[in-house]
Amino acid sequence: MDEGSSEHKGRVAVITGGSGGIGNAIADRLQLEGASVTVMDLMPRAGGAKLESSSSPISFCQVDVAQEREVETAFKSVAAREGEIDYLICCAAIFHATPFLQLSGDEWKRTLEINLNGAFLCCREAIRYMRPRRFGRIILFSSMLARTGGKNSAHYSASKGGVLGLARSLALEVAGENIRVNTISPGVTDTPQPRDHLSEEELYGRGASIPLGRIGKVEDMVEGCLFLLGEESSYFTGQDLRINGGASLW
Amino acid sequence: MVVKASKVSIITGAASGLGRAAATRLAKRGDRVGLCDLNDSGLAETCSIIRGNGGEAISAIVDVRDGAAIKKWCGEVVNQLGKIDYLFSNAGVTSRGAVSDMEFDEWRRLIDTHVTGSFNVCQAALAHMVELGSGAIVVTSSDYAVIGMRYASNYAAAKTALYALTKALAVEFAPHGIRVNAVGPGPIDTPLLRSRGTQAEWQDRVRDYEARLPMQRLGQPEDVASVVDFLLSDRASYITGQLLQPNGGQVMW
Repeated sequence: MDEGSSEHKGRVAVITGGSGGIGNAIADRLQLEGASVTVMDLMPRAGGAKLESSSSPISFCQVDVAQEREVETAFKSVAAREGEIDYLICCAAIFHATPFLQLSGDEWKRTLEINLNGAFLCCREAIRYMRPRRFGRIILFSSMLARTGGKNSAHYSASKGGVLGLARSLALEVAGENIRVNTISPGVTDTPQPRDHLSEEELYGRGASIPLGRIGKVEDMVEGCLFLLGEESSYFTGQDLRINGGASLW
Repeated sequence: MVVKASKVSIITGAASGLGRAAATRLAKRGDRVGLCDLNDSGLAETCSIIRGNGGEAISAIVDVRDGAAIKKWCGEVVNQLGKIDYLFSNAGVTSRGAVSDMEFDEWRRLIDTHVTGSFNVCQAALAHMVELGSGAIVVTSSDYAVIGMRYASNYAAAKTALYALTKALAVEFAPHGIRVNAVGPGPIDTPLLRSRGTQAEWQDRVRDYEARLPMQRLGQPEDVASVVDFLLSDRASYITGQLLQPNGGQVMW
């Protein structure tokens, strides 16, 4: 399509949860496209491959996204180093499947802290740097479960539903400033996360009940993310891109 | 030549607005396109734009309400271009009037053109896609499929039916490797939108849209064509049965 350089070249991107399956792949792809990428996560990137074709390696910032001061400091350091923040992609999330009556107050709170409060804190810091430049693209990862719910996932579903509400309200507040905020709601995806509670057979077996006949791939989410970051989605804000193989049609 | 390996896309309602923008964009990325519309001069202009860009287009005057004619048209496209990979089912008309005053013919005109028309073209194209073992469709629905519309009950009903049709086709044809999605645009600067008022009112309407829409601007056909481009590509290979809404933030759900 674009014969010349990528529209993402030179963009400054922050990806939270960039050490996990989806965030990790988005970080690699954006770096390949020429963006300047910073990953914020509790743990360094496992695959952390330095791509030979790129000039600058992906920066890593050890952050607990639920800690207000840590998030502030991290964004300040990225902005100081890069001079700007163009993209924020929030993938940081935890999910341990737990039956409702076994959900401890601590697990409930920790899930909301990382998945929802973390997104809020990162959005707030990113907007501080996007607003003066009148440019910004924010993508928050929600989940199909935000709409459908799921057994043993009341805490996770609630946190991801909250992400949708956060994204829409923020989208309305900053729409006039050329800052677009959208969400992606993946169905079950081939990453380490669902392996916490599903065996390999169970995980791939899920594909049989999905109209397109397979579970999601990380690449499916990367393509959706690039679509929402780029000019192709120029008239999108507050929208939820549901990448689920037809598993849920709303 | 790359041409033989290129995709074939067909577009209904290609004489203006979203159809023209999508046809032009798909041709630019290398698709060979088959176009139809009832507007002869508009269709000719779309073709000349595409050929001017070095693209390949064939066109025909076809009424989407005529199932037999649509079937014949799809057959001709396959004869001339070899296959049908993608369909943008977009032909539509607009209407205005309160329910209490609406003539049945006016109600039916909208339902026939949008719903039956889209059914006809999806049915005809899907037969070829099933044979091919792959394909993707985008149907033009509307924001009004979600929020309803005052003084255009027929338009809102038709566009909501198209969203339902999209979902039904998505689940029915997923086993064939065919994806079906809808776009639900907000207000877009097209001849169809302009025709909902007089030319004198247009500037006031634009200002009203700018004041009302979160993104503070009226959409352009290219804002939708880019979404069609994405959905009619392997980049969206895990997206089916969905409504994508380039609407400036008018509706979020």
